[in-house]
Amino acid sequence: MTSEIILQAVVTGLMVGMIYALIAAGLSLIFGLMEIVNFAHGEHLMLSMFSSFWLWSLLGLDPLFSVPITILLMATCGVLTHYLLIRYILKAKMLIQICATFGLSIFIRSIAQLLWTPDYRSINNPLLEGRLELGPIFIGQPQLFASLVCLMAFIGLYLFVTRTKTGMGLQATAQDRQAAEILGIPSNKMFAIGWAVGLGCVGVAGGMMTNYFFIFTDVGVYFALFAFVAVALGGFGSIMGCLYAGVIIGLVESLGGLLIDPSFKLLYVFVIYLLVVICRPQGLFGRY
Amino acid sequence: MQDKLSLAKSEPLWHTNKKILYSIISTVLLLFCLPLFDLNPFYLHLFIMIFMYSVMAQSWNVIAGFSGQISLGHGAFFGIGAYATSFLYTHYGISPWIGILFGILVSAVFAILIGIPMLRLRGHYFAIATLLIGISFQLVFQRWELVGAASGLWVPMTSGDSWLALQFHTSKVPYYYIFLIFFIVTFYLVWVLSRSKLGYRLRAVRDDPQAASSLCINVSNYKIMAYVLSAMIMAPMGSLFAQYILVIDPARVFTIETSIIVLLITVLGGVGNVWGPLIGASILIPLSEYSRIYLGGTGGAVDLIFYGLILMLICIFRPNGLVSLVPKHILARKRPQ
Amino acid sequence: MKKIFISIFTFLALVGAPITSSAQDVKIGVIYPLTGASAQIGKDAVAAVKTALDIINNKHNIPGMPLAKDAGLKGLNGAKVSIVVGDHTGKPDVGVSETEKMLNKDGVHAMYGAYYSSVVAAASQVTERAGVPFVNGDSASPKLTKRGFKYFFRVSPHDGEFTQLMFEFINDFNLKNGTNLNTLGIIHEDTLWGSDSGMTQNAMAKEQGFDVVEKISYKAKTTSLSSEVQILKAKNPDVLLPSQYTADAFLFLNTAKELDYNPKMLIAQNSGYVDPTFISTMGNKAEGVISRSPFNTDLAKTIPMIGAVNEIFKKHSGGRDLSDVPARAFTGFMALAVAINNAGSTDPEKIRQALVELDIPAESLIVPYRGVKFGPDGQNAKVRGIMMQVQDGKYCTVYPYELAACDLVYPMPTWDQK
Repeated sequence: MTSEIILQAVVTGLMVGMIYALIAAGLSLIFGLMEIVNFAHGEHLMLSMFSSFWLWSLLGLDPLFSVPITILLMATCGVLTHYLLIRYILKAKMLIQICATFGLSIFIRSIAQLLWTPDYRSINNPLLEGRLELGPIFIGQPQLFASLVCLMAFIGLYLFVTRTKTGMGLQATAQDRQAAEILGIPSNKMFAIGWAVGLGCVGVAGGMMTNYFFIFTDVGVYFALFAFVAVALGGFGSIMGCLYAGVIIGLVESLGGLLIDPSFKLLYVFVIYLLVVICRPQGLFGRY
Repeated sequence: MQDKLSLAKSEPLWHTNKKILYSIISTVLLLFCLPLFDLNPFYLHLFIMIFMYSVMAQSWNVIAGFSGQISLGHGAFFGIGAYATSFLYTHYGISPWIGILFGILVSAVFAILIGIPMLRLRGHYFAIATLLIGISFQLVFQRWELVGAASGLWVPMTSGDSWLALQFHTSKVPYYYIFLIFFIVTFYLVWVLSRSKLGYRLRAVRDDPQAASSLCINVSNYKIMAYVLSAMIMAPMGSLFAQYILVIDPARVFTIETSIIVLLITVLGGVGNVWGPLIGASILIPLSEYSRIYLGGTGGAVDLIFYGLILMLICIFRPNGLVSLVPKHILARKRPQ
Repeated sequence: MKKIFISIFTFLALVGAPITSSAQDVKIGVIYPLTGASAQIGKDAVAAVKTALDIINNKHNIPGMPLAKDAGLKGLNGAKVSIVVGDHTGKPDVGVSETEKMLNKDGVHAMYGAYYSSVVAAASQVTERAGVPFVNGDSASPKLTKRGFKYFFRVSPHDGEFTQLMFEFINDFNLKNGTNLNTLGIIHEDTLWGSDSGMTQNAMAKEQGFDVVEKISYKAKTTSLSSEVQILKAKNPDVLLPSQYTADAFLFLNTAKELDYNPKMLIAQNSGYVDPTFISTMGNKAEGVISRSPFNTDLAKTIPMIGAVNEIFKKHSGGRDLSDVPARAFTGFMALAVAINNAGSTDPEKIRQALVELDIPAESLIVPYRGVKFGPDGQNAKVRGIMMQVQDGKYCTVYPYELAACDLVYPMPTWDQK
């Protein structure tokens, strides 16, 4: 195992970690606002990938250019999800909330399978192709761009939440809904915005991934799993935590697979999660 | 005041409505007599599945409904039970009846091993941890060559019916009775549990752990106890399933779908209520079988669309499950005059 | 008195009716995964069965194809064949449930399916107990024909045979070209199919004196294969043997390109590498990839029937071309139909006997088997596969040499060359 090989693994792990981080950030935002874990997050990712695909297949838009449209579509989807489902379960027990979003995930996945068949799709000859070589390290261009865009989106999200008025409103609602209401910040609207932004993040990640990933109705399942782990590892309610956690997961997956045994990659990620969460039950930066 | 208190103290915890008791007994008798009507084996199969899923959902109910912990990886104990019997029989020729006991033991041990470290986790953290553990079981069993890795275990067929090997090839009726008996015993045990001191303590832990611990209830012990009990209820179903199908592989017995279905059934029926799992299973299992037969053949996953929809609708409109549709006075305890 | 006459007459009419009618329709139960991970494969397989049905039940002019000339089965006085289709969703117990329903409620005379070896294992137990034949055209686990069953017949080769073909190919290639390819890398996904394939390859490789330098099992539909590719690149085996479904094959090749891993020879256990969209999606990244296969469309040069059958298949499949699994599904179903035709009856015992005695020559098949003739274990003893390589955007048969349409390109072109 030369140092070059390890360095390669580190680079690859970092890049994929950015993507996990952004997907997790969307999840964390939603949870922070209304304490609901979106178990349909993977399916939302799948929808964003399909949106990117159909925009390419039907309108010839390269995924790079269709990302803004995908973001808008996913934001709309987020608002719809809130108004049609989430609004009614805000006051329900945690169990019911979990079941409701589970139901949503099954529903979305099956409708996708009905409409689009379970066949695998991919985008041929995207604009982003090829490979960069920095010394002994190989970096695929689509992967590099995807992670950089995700990182920028993440920073954008962070700035939005901490610097803008709406973002402050979101934070206020997350901290104390009733107090925020009294101060004139409408919870319902904040929740809808939270869903829109949260799923918008997923839209960015999904849209960028279609440059190099196959698209099919089950594609969201493992990404969602890593997102859940990332959010729990980083701490529910902490957006910065997602970044650290996403990177940790990416690195553990990549290095663990390389140095120990790739067959058990997932287990290493799980073990890290369990260790952190048992020693620090609220995650790295969590508030709960 | 004093009278009411002594009245309450003297009231036995297990007192129940006589009407309900009679209807339960007559239903049980009817179920015992069902095979005598010479039904198409498909209906026997349907009942067997309803019994099995009711018990599995009841197992989940014990931990979610009675002690408030949401486990998304309960399928792991199902798989342990299935592998326990199949492995002992396939490799050592040990009768599945002993295998069932072995499965219960192993599940209990795992429940303790998993439960203790996870005591510190609450709510969503716990749920996600159980999800990961469920997947880890599948991962490990898919690679463990001793138990067949991804091919799983194919239990050798006996030449005829065999009570010792728990395999029946000429008719489903013996399977029906075995499942029925496990079903009745489990439901009875859980019913007793719900009305026992243990049951009340569990519910106290669920509703307000701090208040409970201030009453000298050792919260951790009870949480683990609930988890272990729940695992011990789930494992025999895995074992019986393995004997029913005789082909088990990690993709089937350690799948997350099992965990999802027991969750769905219990929520549909009513969490925390002894009858919830039965109501949920009686509706969902026939629904899923028939919708797969009539709608599934097209490959459009239409039956799954209904699952998702039903789950969401129940959560919005009837979060207490369908059992909440039963008029209150039927379920209420009769006060002794 | 009158009442007795009427009742006796009615009774006789009801009982006698089947005896007097000449064409009793043949019903066959077909189960495949129509939802879940392999749903597209299942749908293609059902389309292939419907293609066979079309050919059997209607008059077609396909020289060499049995049962095409006449409408219906001649051996049963023109009786038509109908199918009952069920979705086993990839679960053995659902397969059992569907099979029982088809046997008891629909009254099928034989069962056909089901792609997933675990489902076939469980469902064929039901038919074995019931004494009804179960014919399989496309499941890969060698264990299926090692159970001593009397009513189970498999038309397709299993992975043991395909792996044997791979090793024969490597050995023949070494002889012909004076190379010494000896180190192997095995990478497989972790579901039943991939694991069986990987284990079989590992075991057979060791028996035949090859050196397996790396064997990797990864989670199917994983999000990343970079560690795996890095390890393989470091170990650099002479021949890489992947067993991967479509999405993973795509990810693997993309990752290999990203990390500049250039295996000298890649022999795939088909599946993802022969998916109908593989070449169109991968473009020139697919160049040089070799796969074993029971089928290839360029065989149409030597087997003209393939063209005609493909046209009919396109109608039933929504425009998709024949590929590995549907070609095998078609062949298996036709074999069953020919057996029923030979039996001249829908009695399961007679059908079983006809299957035991079945002997279809190579010229009647669209796959390159040497024929269909079952051994005592129910396995078709005359299977044969081919090896094909992607050259200039098309699959070209390269082995066995007598069926080859092209020469093998070795070593596989590097990413820079593609």
